[in-house]
Amino acid sequence: MSAAETTATTATGGLAVEGVYTAYDKADVLEDVTLEAQPGKITCLLGSNGSGKTTLIRSVLGLTRPNRGRIRFDGVDLTGLPTHRIVAAGIACIPEGRQVFPKLTVEENLRLGAYQEPNPDVVARRLEKVYGTFPRLKERQAQIAGTLSGGEQAMVSIGRGLMSAPKLLIVDEPSLGLAPILVKENFNIIRRINGDGITVFLVEQNVRQTLAIADYGYVLRKGRVVAAGTPGELGRTQEVHAAYFGQGR
Amino acid sequence: MDVGLLGQYVMNGLMLGMMYALVAVGFTLFFGVMDIINFAHGDVLTVGAFAALATILGLAGIGVDSPWIQLAGATLVAVTTMAALGAVIARTLVLPLKGAPPLNTLLITLMLGTALHEGVRLFYPQGANPQRFPSLLPTDAYSFGHFTLRIDSLLVLTTGLLLIVGIHLLINRTKLGLAIRAVAQDEDTAKTMGINYTLIVLATFAIGSGLAAFAGVLHGLYYSEVNFAMGLLLGVIGFSAAIVGGLGNIYGAILGGFLFSALQTIGVLAMPFASAYKDVFAFAVVILIMAWRPTGLISEKISQRV
Repeated sequence: MSAAETTATTATGGLAVEGVYTAYDKADVLEDVTLEAQPGKITCLLGSNGSGKTTLIRSVLGLTRPNRGRIRFDGVDLTGLPTHRIVAAGIACIPEGRQVFPKLTVEENLRLGAYQEPNPDVVARRLEKVYGTFPRLKERQAQIAGTLSGGEQAMVSIGRGLMSAPKLLIVDEPSLGLAPILVKENFNIIRRINGDGITVFLVEQNVRQTLAIADYGYVLRKGRVVAAGTPGELGRTQEVHAAYFGQGR
Repeated sequence: MDVGLLGQYVMNGLMLGMMYALVAVGFTLFFGVMDIINFAHGDVLTVGAFAALATILGLAGIGVDSPWIQLAGATLVAVTTMAALGAVIARTLVLPLKGAPPLNTLLITLMLGTALHEGVRLFYPQGANPQRFPSLLPTDAYSFGHFTLRIDSLLVLTTGLLLIVGIHLLINRTKLGLAIRAVAQDEDTAKTMGINYTLIVLATFAIGSGLAAFAGVLHGLYYSEVNFAMGLLLGVIGFSAAIVGGLGNIYGAILGGFLFSALQTIGVLAMPFASAYKDVFAFAVVILIMAWRPTGLISEKISQRV
């Protein structure tokens, strides 16, 4: 028990979303969303297109300001802070569609991930670590990122997310637009990242593979959390099926 | 044609081209990070030139007679105050209007520009008349046939080229430059990297406006005269140069600046009887280039958004 307690207190990167409402053009996209990403765990958020997943991520990152509710990170209130201060708290994101900077080189993309790290030695060490994980990127470090294949861009995007040495990594739709074999590899990498002690908040449409690696999950539908539970529980609920195949959106 | 005379034209063309390039780089930087056209840019140049002139007269007034110190002081004051003005413009006008239709920002900067040069006209002593800008650089000259190499021209040209190299290094070799490029390519992702977006926008406006002030000082040195309306034509030329080069691309803007001055020079050479029409000729060719390549010679924004 004491060992469990020690890990519980040392693990950081816990995200708490409390009663968040976020609107685009006055129409609420998120309504009263409450969820939590436990420190050191993989938490997933399932939902179809238009369910509000991306808006939730934008709210957490401070790209879209919630109208109501709180967002806390390791107990610290981040609500309403500008994005760079939220990043400074230890949150990084691997955005949907990878979003590499197409006209920058692979190395410039990676270095941007460590933008807030002032010590060049630390940046160099992290860079070597990313190149260790993705030797392919080392070969292409001077190549313009826009000319890479989809799979290679995914590596850049993941590597860039790790360059800030985050406590919490938000991964938005990692399997979108990738070949099945790459999807599988991506999920393995996410599991490895989590194994290094980084909290993962995984947002996905790919139900089966997501539930296979998650510790806990939520289902978002029409901007509301309609189900929550362990993967085993979620796999059995109607809500998961309804969220994807149910009556419209 | 006489080689010496041709050399003279090339020299003058390079001087003008550099001035235009410095203005055009500002337009293209602002468009890159904020997707806006700042029509007050030319008038910031005017205010910068007058700030330099006032500093020179002020220094002379307190007995500082060394032209080098006067010039250094004037350049320093003009560049820093206009950089600050640029940051203030970004903070108070451009950023708050970010969610507004682009036409609103355009109108606001147009009005601000008018306010700036009218302010110079009304509040600078005798501001409605052209003001003599002292020749602070050594005026030694070496003649080679029809070609006269003036030391002041050479100094101005060298300084301008060094500045352009400096911009290149700043954008491509520094962390600030990397952040500017990242914001220009993808604002939201840049923010997610931990880049302080507001700070980068302010820095970009400060850099662009500081360059305009520098171009204003060069303009004063080159023509030995400044006036409240000098920024109007320079603004339009800088804007055209940025567009012709491909808005958003720094090298395109530099290329566009030199291209415009080359066109003016060709206009003078081709029609020596009507050299007053050199701008008409240059703008007409710009219109033709735009018809031929609607997105500019180096189309940055299009290629990156596909």
